[in-house]
Amino acid sequence: MAEATGRYAPADRTTVAKPRRRARNFDVRHLPGFGAVAIFTFFMLYAPILILVVFSFNAAPSQAQWGGFSLQWYEAAFNNRQVREVSIRSLWLALVASGIATTVATLAALGTTRVRRFPGQTMIYALINQPLMVPEIVTGVALLIFFAAIKVQTGYTGMGYLVAAHTAFCIPFAYLPIRARLETMDITLERAAADLYASPFQAFRHVTLPLLVPGIVAGFMLGFVISLDAVVITEFVKSAGQDTLPTYMLGQLRRNITPEMNAIATLFLALSLCIVTAFFLLTRKRG
Amino acid sequence: MAEPRESHRWKWLLCAPALTILVLAASGPLLIVLVYSFLTPGNMGGVIWEFSTEGWFRVFFRRDIFDPADVSLNTAHLTILWRSVWLSLQTTVICAVLGFPTAWFIATRPANTRTVWLFLITIPFWTNLLIRTFAIQELIRNSGTINTLLIWAGVIDAPIQMLFSEFAILLGMAYVFLPLMVLPLYAAMDKLDFRLVEAGYDLYASRLQVLRHVILPLVKPGFIAGSILVFIPSIGAYVTPRVLGGGRTLMLGNLIDLQFGQGRNWPLGAALAITLLVIVVAALLFYLRTLNREEGPRHG
Amino acid sequence: MKDTRNSPEIEIAGLSKVFGAGASAFTALSDIDLTIAQGEFFTLLGPSGCGKTTLLRVIAGFEQPSDGSLRINAQEVAGKGPNARPVNTVFQNYALFPHMSVAQNIGFGLKMLGRARSEIDATVDEMLALVQMAHLADRKPAEISGGQQQRVALARALAPRPRVLLLDEPLSALDLKLRKGMQSELKRLQGETGITFVFVTHDQEEALTMSDRIAVMSEGRILQTGTPHEIYHRPRERFVADFIGDTNFLEVEVAEADGAAAQVKLPGGALHSARLPGGLRPGAGARVTVVIRPEQAQLVAPGQGVLAATVEKSVFFGTDTHVHLHLEGGAPFILRRQNTGAMPEPDPGSAVGLALAEGALQVVGD
Repeated sequence: MAEATGRYAPADRTTVAKPRRRARNFDVRHLPGFGAVAIFTFFMLYAPILILVVFSFNAAPSQAQWGGFSLQWYEAAFNNRQVREVSIRSLWLALVASGIATTVATLAALGTTRVRRFPGQTMIYALINQPLMVPEIVTGVALLIFFAAIKVQTGYTGMGYLVAAHTAFCIPFAYLPIRARLETMDITLERAAADLYASPFQAFRHVTLPLLVPGIVAGFMLGFVISLDAVVITEFVKSAGQDTLPTYMLGQLRRNITPEMNAIATLFLALSLCIVTAFFLLTRKRG
Repeated sequence: MAEPRESHRWKWLLCAPALTILVLAASGPLLIVLVYSFLTPGNMGGVIWEFSTEGWFRVFFRRDIFDPADVSLNTAHLTILWRSVWLSLQTTVICAVLGFPTAWFIATRPANTRTVWLFLITIPFWTNLLIRTFAIQELIRNSGTINTLLIWAGVIDAPIQMLFSEFAILLGMAYVFLPLMVLPLYAAMDKLDFRLVEAGYDLYASRLQVLRHVILPLVKPGFIAGSILVFIPSIGAYVTPRVLGGGRTLMLGNLIDLQFGQGRNWPLGAALAITLLVIVVAALLFYLRTLNREEGPRHG
Repeated sequence: MKDTRNSPEIEIAGLSKVFGAGASAFTALSDIDLTIAQGEFFTLLGPSGCGKTTLLRVIAGFEQPSDGSLRINAQEVAGKGPNARPVNTVFQNYALFPHMSVAQNIGFGLKMLGRARSEIDATVDEMLALVQMAHLADRKPAEISGGQQQRVALARALAPRPRVLLLDEPLSALDLKLRKGMQSELKRLQGETGITFVFVTHDQEEALTMSDRIAVMSEGRILQTGTPHEIYHRPRERFVADFIGDTNFLEVEVAEADGAAAQVKLPGGALHSARLPGGLRPGAGARVTVVIRPEQAQLVAPGQGVLAATVEKSVFFGTDTHVHLHLEGGAPFILRRQNTGAMPEPDPGSAVGLALAEGALQVVGD
């Protein structure tokens, strides 16, 4: 069969099957209408976001009319003490949670990748991936119940609960790229290092770790974005005065919405975009 | 690296920090939810440590206020349950219908532009779900972009009420979960051997026949994975129905939330949460079974 | 270096390696006895799965032997890790560190040994010159060709001046022309450094042209150890004869046996002397297998020579021609003739006689 198709260059087939379109190759990848649907989909994906961004620069306080270009809503957002506060809390939380998550996920990846299967490995996988599968609302409710009990027992109402919840939620996202990186890493490289007189620690320090860095950075960035996004879990775990940017926005969406929200959302989007772009470039370079 | 004689202890030690956090802040609390679903609700939220199946009972049934023996089906809950499943299925279908051509489009671009298209589908995937829901809200509000444009064009006189409806939830969920369908489909198409497609055309198949008999069967695993990836967050959706359904059109997630807020019935909330979890696990098991069946006979 | 030659570098005794345990246990090496001399180019030859790579990995220290002893330079090394042995490996896929430059790769071993910066730099320069890669010192492995990667891998393994260099099919990833070039390059490097080379390959031609001595392996055992000449002309077992070169096997009857030589009765009744391998002492009347290399038989007129045969076909190979024959009694026989242009090719179906060179027959065990 391979021989039979190999004999026909696509151009030859065009002249055989469709003589009226002699000039064009028969494109086997073409499916009619698919391109149009795809362009429509991309348009649908980006139009709402673009509208949101555009109206953040609107001088008029309504979406119904365009009142000229203005940065007043950005100014308002920057001057809003609460917005500043929740933004800093969000960034701090994301940094701490993804930092811890990346560290423990790196260790876990080293313990579970490129090793002979061992009893309990499946259970470890299940535990690590559990936050990916259980709906956020269920995790949120579970943490609410559990942490409420601890709060009553200990009286501690600090940020520890949010850090723990976010860290657990970030672990699978940090774990996946690190594991992927480890799996594609040639194990003979460490063997070569050992052959060239490196101790196990030296082999890790000079060979494994440098090669693992892109995976670790990718895992950290994914965790960071995930923590920044986490709204449901935060909503259920937070104590009074522990709003993050997403929970603050969720609360505001109930109220009368001003373009100030568009401005905050746009800044948030810009931050995410930067991280995702960096992530994309980082993971693409690997190939 | 002399592995065979070493014990597994160091592997466990490496995993221990991650597992501790996960057990404390993810898996462990799930078990507590199960326990709570069999307790008696406290007056101001919380629970009284007394065994009761009332929470589970109330997931599906309702008692008359004056005559506790008068039991009827809890139609409000069942309606929400059905709506959750039905909206999630619809979301999955919409995502599949839009996602397949999109993934195909990306997979058939030349290598250098393909990464750009792929990047464009990845961005929404990693941007905040709340913000994307907010963008939809802005679009379909009574004073939003669509209504403004339609009134300006003279198509309608008064704004159409789109927000706070099942339609709004459906639109929002399809919008936010679409990348979850495109990415696994693309992954499957990326691996597709285009010589098989050529062979299909060589053997006189039409475009439609090649699609139906060659391409679709080959990318089916991607389809199934994408459907699961869309269905699971849809059935557990909380933010999207809250923002776009506006408290009137509830989904399961909002019903659970209600029990821990105004409803103050934690055991019922816990039972509902477990119910949701059961649906998700059932969907996952269905997925695994289909996957095994798919892979079994192909090489057999 | 020359005066230390022939004193043992690697001594392996009673070594075995078993993977797994119980019912799923797999014996990769069984009862290996082997001595490799200093400065020797020694080749482990065998089909894939014969255990040659496992043996190499045991010598390198990546696998610990299940039983037996392994001494390098008179030091017992069983139990020591690869980073504690004066042995370096050229890996099959080179295993160059992708995040380090060519020079950093070459200097890695010395750095791990804690050598001074100046010494490392000097050795790296020396090695770069040795493998003619000085102009590419700052490139990353991904930026150089396969042949160049091969040279870097060699230089990296040679830089710490190991006592023994292990080469795990290092040429298998190269195309034919590069491979020929690297073969002579390897011989040159070995001559210049005087380091003991242990080379693993499944390519018999490569083994014959490069080695001082060869060990032929099959199913975890060493079947025969010897010079290329011994392995080729005096195979002890059918497997060795079959694996190396083209071979004719004949079932014959022993007429009389006397020490290392025997008279055997060929098909057609002619008697001819045959060498016996050490340890094999068949009595008169026993059926044995003899090996005849295709170039050791000559076509002669019908009725002459010691064997009678019928020509089936001739296959032209350029420098020589293979004549496919049927011996009297039906056994197939292939004969190789150099194409000097003097002799016409025999016609298919014609009857011919075969003369055998002195010492052409070698009895092999099964």
